[in-house]
Amino acid sequence: MKRTLSWIIAALCGIGLAQAGDFDKFLKDLIKEKMQPTAPAQPTAPTQPVAPSAPVVPAAQEKPADQLLKALLSGNASQEEELRIGQQISGNLLGAAPLVRDDGLQRYVNRVGRWVALQSERPDLPWRFGVIESEDLNAFAAPGGYIFLTKGLYKRLNNEAELAGVLGHEIGHVIRKHHLKLLQKSQAIAALGSFFGSKLKNENEIVQNLIGNGAEIVARGLDKDAEYEADRIGLVLSARAGYDAYALPAVLAEIGHVAKSDKRVSLLFKTHPLPEDRLGQLSEAVGDRLDGLPEGQSGVGRFYRLR
Amino acid sequence: MKSFLLRLSLASTMVMPFTASSAMAASGVMLKDDDLRNAASAGAARVGRVDKGARVEVLGRQGGWTQVSEGGRKGWVRILSVRAESGADAGAGLAGLLEAGGRRGDSSRVVATAGLRGLNEEELRSARFNANELMSLDRYQVGRAAAEHYARAVGLRSREVGYLPAPQREQTRDTPAGSPWGSGGLP
Repeated sequence: MKRTLSWIIAALCGIGLAQAGDFDKFLKDLIKEKMQPTAPAQPTAPTQPVAPSAPVVPAAQEKPADQLLKALLSGNASQEEELRIGQQISGNLLGAAPLVRDDGLQRYVNRVGRWVALQSERPDLPWRFGVIESEDLNAFAAPGGYIFLTKGLYKRLNNEAELAGVLGHEIGHVIRKHHLKLLQKSQAIAALGSFFGSKLKNENEIVQNLIGNGAEIVARGLDKDAEYEADRIGLVLSARAGYDAYALPAVLAEIGHVAKSDKRVSLLFKTHPLPEDRLGQLSEAVGDRLDGLPEGQSGVGRFYRLR
Repeated sequence: MKSFLLRLSLASTMVMPFTASSAMAASGVMLKDDDLRNAASAGAARVGRVDKGARVEVLGRQGGWTQVSEGGRKGWVRILSVRAESGADAGAGLAGLLEAGGRRGDSSRVVATAGLRGLNEEELRSARFNANELMSLDRYQVGRAAAEHYARAVGLRSREVGYLPAPQREQTRDTPAGSPWGSGGLP
C-alpha cells in the first residue's frame, strides 16, 4: 500500500520533471524498475542490469513517439501531430461505420465542405469529408480536419445550405481544437496509465492509448459551450460561403422533431445539448446581427439526393 | 443579359420551396419575446408583440424573417425567434424509423442484431482501425482550387460575416470543480 502511494507520488513528480526535460530518463528508470519487481532493493549494484531484453536507449535520442506524447502533454501539438491523432480516430470510426459506397455523394460532400472550410481561418488544412454508413443522426469531427456525417442525418437534409451548416458546425470543432483540448484534459491520466501499464513501443500505440479504445472519443461529449460555439461558427461559415444563414437552425429544428426515445438520436442527445437549447442559444447570439445580410442560397436544386 | 436572366430564374427556383411550404401552415413556439412587424424588416412598423412560449402559426418566410399569426394577429418576427414544431414531418419520422431497421450498408461487416442499430458507444469502443476506408476517404479529398471552382460554377460568393460572440450570460462557469489537480490544473 505504502509502495503504491510512493509510486503515485513518483509519477506526479515525473510530470513536473517533464518540464525540466528529464522526462525520458525518468520514464525509462521508472519502467525499468517496474519491470523487475522481484529484485530486492539493492542500491549496491552499479553495473548495468543484466537484462538484454531491455534495450537502454540513450536519453539524448528522442523517439518520435516520446516527442508526440510530450507535445500533447504540453498542449503544443503541431499540425502534423494533430493530423496523426485525427487519422487514428478517423480510421477507427471508419472501422465501426464505413463510407457510403457512392462516389458522387462523397465528392459532392467534399466540394461543399471544402468551400465552407475555406471561409475559416484554417483554409489549408487537408480537409476531408465523408458520409458513413449509419442510420443514426449524427456528425463527427476529428483533429486535423476530418469530418463525418451519418447517412441517417444526410437523408434528413433538405438542401445544400443545410449540409453546409452541419459541416460548418464540425469545422468549428476542428478550428477551435475542441477535441484536442478534451484530450489534454484527460491525457495526464492516460499518460500515467501508460507508464505503469505497459511499455508503449511506437507512435501508434501512444496515439491509441491517448484516445482511448477504438473511436470512443467521438462518443465522449464535449463541453456544452463548445457545442454552442460550434453552432455559431457553423452558421457564420455557411453564411460566409454564400448559403442561407438559417439552414443550420432548420436542421436543429428538424432534429428536435425526432422522438427523444428514438435510438437513432440517443448518442447525439447524449453528447450534445438538446436542439431546443441550441436553437435558443443561437437565437440569442444572432439577435439583430444578421439583419443586413442578403439572403443566401439554399442550393436545393443541385442538392445530391440519396437513392 | 442572358446570365442575368439565368440568375433571375435561378433565384426564383430558390425561393419557390419556401412559398410552397408556406401553403401548409406549420405550428411553432416562440423561443423569446419579439415584436410583431408589418413587414419582413427591422425597420417595419410594429404591430404588436408575442411572448416567449406563445404558440403561433408559421405562415411563410422571407430572408431572416418569418410570418406568423397568433390569435388572429398576423405579422413578421425574426426567424430565430420561433421554433417550428413538427408539421408534415411527423409521418416521415415514422416512415424513417421503419425503414431504418437492420439496413446498414456493407453487410459483410455487419453483425446481425435485432431491431435498430445505432452508432452506439460499445460499437465505437470496439472499433478497429480500417486503413482501406481511410484511403478511400483520401481519394475523395477536394483541394482549394477545385472547391473555388465549384463555388464559382454554382454562383456562390464569399461574404464578410463576423463571428458571433457568445450570448451574455451570468458568469457561472469558473474553474472546473473537483479537479484532482486542484484549481491550477496541469500545465
